[in-house]
Amino acid sequence: MPLHLTLDGETHAIEIVRRKPRLVLEVDGRRYEVVEDVDQGVGSLVVDGARVAVARAVVEEGPRETCFVRIEGRTHEIGLIDPREETAGRDSSRDEIHAPMPGAVVTVHRRAGEAVARGETVVTIESMKLQTALAAPRDGVLAEVLKSAGDTFDKDAVLARLVPADGD
Amino acid sequence: MTPPAAPAQPLFCKVLIANRGEIAVRIARTLRAMGIASAAIHHRAERDARHARVADEAHEIAGDTPVAAHLDADQIVAIARACGANAIHPGYGFLSENAAFARKVVAAGLVFIGPDAATIELMGDKISARDFAAAHGVPVAPSVRAGEDIDAFVAAAEATGFPLLIKAAVGGGGKGMSIVRDAGELRERARIATSEAQRYFGDGRIYAETYVERPRHIEVQVLGDGSGGAIHLFERECSIQRRFQKIIEEAPAAPLAEPTRAAICDAAVRLAAAARYGNAGTVEFILGADGRFFFLEMNTRLQVEHPVTEMICGIDLVRVQIEIAAGRGLPFAQGAARASGHAIECRICAEDADNNFLPATGPIRLLRVPAGPHLRFENALDEGQRVTADFDPMLAKLVAWGETRAAAIARMIAALRELTILGVRTNVDYLARVLATEAFRAGAIHTGFIAEHAAALAPPARDPVARDRALIAAALGQRGFREAIAAVEEPYASMGRWRN
Amino acid sequence: MISTSGADFRRNEAHNRTLVAAFREKQEAARSGRPKRDLDRLAAQGKMTPRQRIEKLIDPGTPFLELSSLAANMAYDGEAPGAGSIVGIGVVSGREAIIRADDPTVKGGAWYPLTIKKIVRALDIAIENRLPLVHLCDSAGGFLPLQSELFPDRFMAGRIFRNQSILSKIGVKQLSLVFGHCTAGGAYIPALSDYSVIVRGTGAVFLGGPPLVKAATGEESSVEELGGADMHTSVSGTCDYPAATEDEAILIGREIVAQWDRPAKWPIQRETAEPPAYDPQELYGILPDDIKKQFDMREIIARIVDGSRFHEYQPNYGSTLVCGFANIWGFKVGIVANNGVLFNDSSLKGGHFIELCDQNNTPLVFLQNITGYMIGRDYERRGITKDGAKMIMAQSCARVPKFTVMCNGSFGAGNYGMCGRAFDARLLFAWPNHQIGVMGGDQAANTLVEVKANQMRRAGEAVDPATLARVRAETLAAYQEQTSAYYSTSELWDDGIIDPLDTRNALGIAISVSLNAPLGDKGYGVFRF
Repeated sequence: MPLHLTLDGETHAIEIVRRKPRLVLEVDGRRYEVVEDVDQGVGSLVVDGARVAVARAVVEEGPRETCFVRIEGRTHEIGLIDPREETAGRDSSRDEIHAPMPGAVVTVHRRAGEAVARGETVVTIESMKLQTALAAPRDGVLAEVLKSAGDTFDKDAVLARLVPADGD
Repeated sequence: MTPPAAPAQPLFCKVLIANRGEIAVRIARTLRAMGIASAAIHHRAERDARHARVADEAHEIAGDTPVAAHLDADQIVAIARACGANAIHPGYGFLSENAAFARKVVAAGLVFIGPDAATIELMGDKISARDFAAAHGVPVAPSVRAGEDIDAFVAAAEATGFPLLIKAAVGGGGKGMSIVRDAGELRERARIATSEAQRYFGDGRIYAETYVERPRHIEVQVLGDGSGGAIHLFERECSIQRRFQKIIEEAPAAPLAEPTRAAICDAAVRLAAAARYGNAGTVEFILGADGRFFFLEMNTRLQVEHPVTEMICGIDLVRVQIEIAAGRGLPFAQGAARASGHAIECRICAEDADNNFLPATGPIRLLRVPAGPHLRFENALDEGQRVTADFDPMLAKLVAWGETRAAAIARMIAALRELTILGVRTNVDYLARVLATEAFRAGAIHTGFIAEHAAALAPPARDPVARDRALIAAALGQRGFREAIAAVEEPYASMGRWRN
Repeated sequence: MISTSGADFRRNEAHNRTLVAAFREKQEAARSGRPKRDLDRLAAQGKMTPRQRIEKLIDPGTPFLELSSLAANMAYDGEAPGAGSIVGIGVVSGREAIIRADDPTVKGGAWYPLTIKKIVRALDIAIENRLPLVHLCDSAGGFLPLQSELFPDRFMAGRIFRNQSILSKIGVKQLSLVFGHCTAGGAYIPALSDYSVIVRGTGAVFLGGPPLVKAATGEESSVEELGGADMHTSVSGTCDYPAATEDEAILIGREIVAQWDRPAKWPIQRETAEPPAYDPQELYGILPDDIKKQFDMREIIARIVDGSRFHEYQPNYGSTLVCGFANIWGFKVGIVANNGVLFNDSSLKGGHFIELCDQNNTPLVFLQNITGYMIGRDYERRGITKDGAKMIMAQSCARVPKFTVMCNGSFGAGNYGMCGRAFDARLLFAWPNHQIGVMGGDQAANTLVEVKANQMRRAGEAVDPATLARVRAETLAAYQEQTSAYYSTSELWDDGIIDPLDTRNALGIAISVSLNAPLGDKGYGVFRF
């Protein structure tokens, strides 16, 4: 699968075509022969025989990865898309938050109608003297939260349901 | 060769630097050269910061926020006394123009490296400063003060003529400022300015003055001995501003008629002498296209942009400040002041220059500093450091000197191209675009330059090949992508994408 | 060396390019010629085609060596292109693997008898080469009208699961990605895999689907309840990982493979690879336009091996068999190639060279163009059968990996000595011009006509020329169909027809994967026959 990157709000795909004796990459179908010599973020890139100095740094903020690339006096801020996030974030079949074990609801963090992102805590439960935060399995809107604080439930009970956010 | 011996008796044993960031580092450097011990202060949140490491000693200051700690005059004076400092250098910002602080420093038996509290007070109030300037023959823009009677203010303002600039009596940074072009909007603007001034500065007094179209910001570096002796170290031009804040400064000014230059510098010296100004200060003027200039304000401290003056004059202004504070008097007479060439300073800020200059935050992951003759990079940056919203977005200052203005511009553009700060959005590329415009090169600059040339200063479309190169570099920076390349062995690595 | 500008060369080139173009056309039809209805159904289910799945599964910028792309091309009236199954060798997360995908665009992925044969062959390749296996499951199950040809016998459906078990026993990993249904026997494919991922909504694993359950017990049940992703990954534990989408299943699969150890390959002599010095395109002009015309196999070798360098063994002895050492993609190999009929000396040379390679741990590449061992009184007196048997014995018992390319004809016992299908070449490829049979069509027709005439004579009948002509014509027609490369590959007598230009890469991959399996112990020393 190609690596997807974003620049100026547009998505680009980079695919490996060949590794040796020279690395060959395709950017949105345009083919380039690449030799990279970068150490500690600084070095050079030879693309189709033309050498340019390059500096780069990757910043990870949560699931987002951004690569700052400086070439010929211009800084490009490029988003790197994690393929797992790409495929999993909009998973329309993971619509329910199930209880992993019997217990009681401690806190309901989000209400029906609120938008939630994958990984965001929706309900905290307590079971066997342990508190567990249950997270949204995907991005979406909470269709219903079926339990309130203090309610008890059995293993596998559905505690909340999600629907896709508008525009999905 | 034996190195020249340090003075047997340094001017001070130890100076506490009541500041942080690049200016604290810059002051510490001069102190070391003068054989004076330096003491830094830092909040818990900045204990690893560069300014705290380069000083001879560092002391933690408490505060709910780092800024609050740096504004805590009593605590700072107490630390200065406790650590055995003889003097305090306030840098710029924070407590540098706080008369009460200056007073407390002196009351504690320490030397305040700057003018006395009374001068700070006089110049700190724009209205009293204006009156003082006018009284000593320094041109001031016709103006009207707002009193209790708003109708009287409106009537008087209309009599002065439009356009008018409404300003807060105290404070700065553009807060409470607005341009009024006709009588219809005057009353409402005055009301808003009053409430903003009250909200930001705790003082709702405002005034209106003649607004100069396409104004240039010209300021003069002055030195006073405190007893009426004063000289100037030429002017600086700070007309390239965004959000009413300077981003590019130069010395001397971009093309300026010699009589005007002389008149402005004379006026500044006249003011400093009249105020019996002691130490380094800056007198700021507004210069109209017609050659008329008006007093704006006097900054009773070291300016952010002081390095451009140092570059053309070949002196160390912090050293001069310390010498004056120690009672050594002025370094030389006016006749001995010399300037040569041209210097430009660019303020490197963590901001989104292409989106209304909104401040940006993030880590500094990679830092590569330009080097070469006649180049200074004033900074306190470290790789790994996080740029937060706690402090001003200015990260560093890049200063370049050249024999001519064109040479200085060329050197600065080359240095900006070399300067690499990655991990947080900065205005580095934007600054280079400003310098590269025909208008800037021609010296056709004024404080509205950024707005006037907004279209030309927008980021140029990316050349497709350059874009693809950047994308390739980014992809190769991703761990997963690199691993995907390295994971494949021969013969597959050489065979590539082959299908039978 | 040959002239690349002569009339023969140009005629050969035109002929062979036509053959290859015809092959490519058939291959393209088998790969993508599908009724729109089947493709629409797949799209409606949100599914990718099996080839799209494979492209995403393998590492970007790496080759995929597809095997038996024209399996079943002459069977079932062409209803099962590729035998409804895709098999090939590729690189997944840096590890060599054999990939086997059901093709839901062919009768819902139903298994025909030749599908079973192709799957079993894939598993045999995995066993022989210790090659990890990734199953991309999406099959309706056995094609019931032909159950007697696919279910009961030793190498039929049950062999799949027997081979899966053996693979696990010898430590070769298997991963199943369940994109569609795995019903009945097919359910055992993920169940017998070390790892499995199942796609929510479309993937299902059960011994009996809802209709069968209803018929058997009256129980009403949904696909999800019976064998859906959530049930299997959270209740039954039959599958390991649920995936939201096919893309995610593939990503999880790639991550799983990335966890697998990489057992050391056995150390073969290896150099840095370099392309042949002679242009491989010239293969088209060297291969003759008539199977009866002889050509020098050294010219072929020069266009396959690294730097066109070939160290020839016994250059002056047994000259109808060319033997020698070369490198292919850097791997040292011993090449055994036919330059005419096998005589006593060429047979002995072949047997001897095979033993040398086995002693030297050098894999063997057989380039077949053989009409057989020489026959006739003199040769029998000199023991041609005995000498041929030595070559067959040496070849059969060699421990080193063997690879065979059917460069042209493969007739009679020559097929045996030169490592034909029965002799466990790790992989066996054929060129489009290839023909195979116990003898050539002409010889067979002549022989059968002679037999018929003798029958008639014995019966005291007059020899009827018309009858003989009919026998002759029928024999020739049957031979023409059954000796063709397309018939051979349809029946999986080989691992696929390849364009001669692809031989170097196909062999490079074949050799590389063969090194995963350890060599057995050496038996005897080298006999100088």
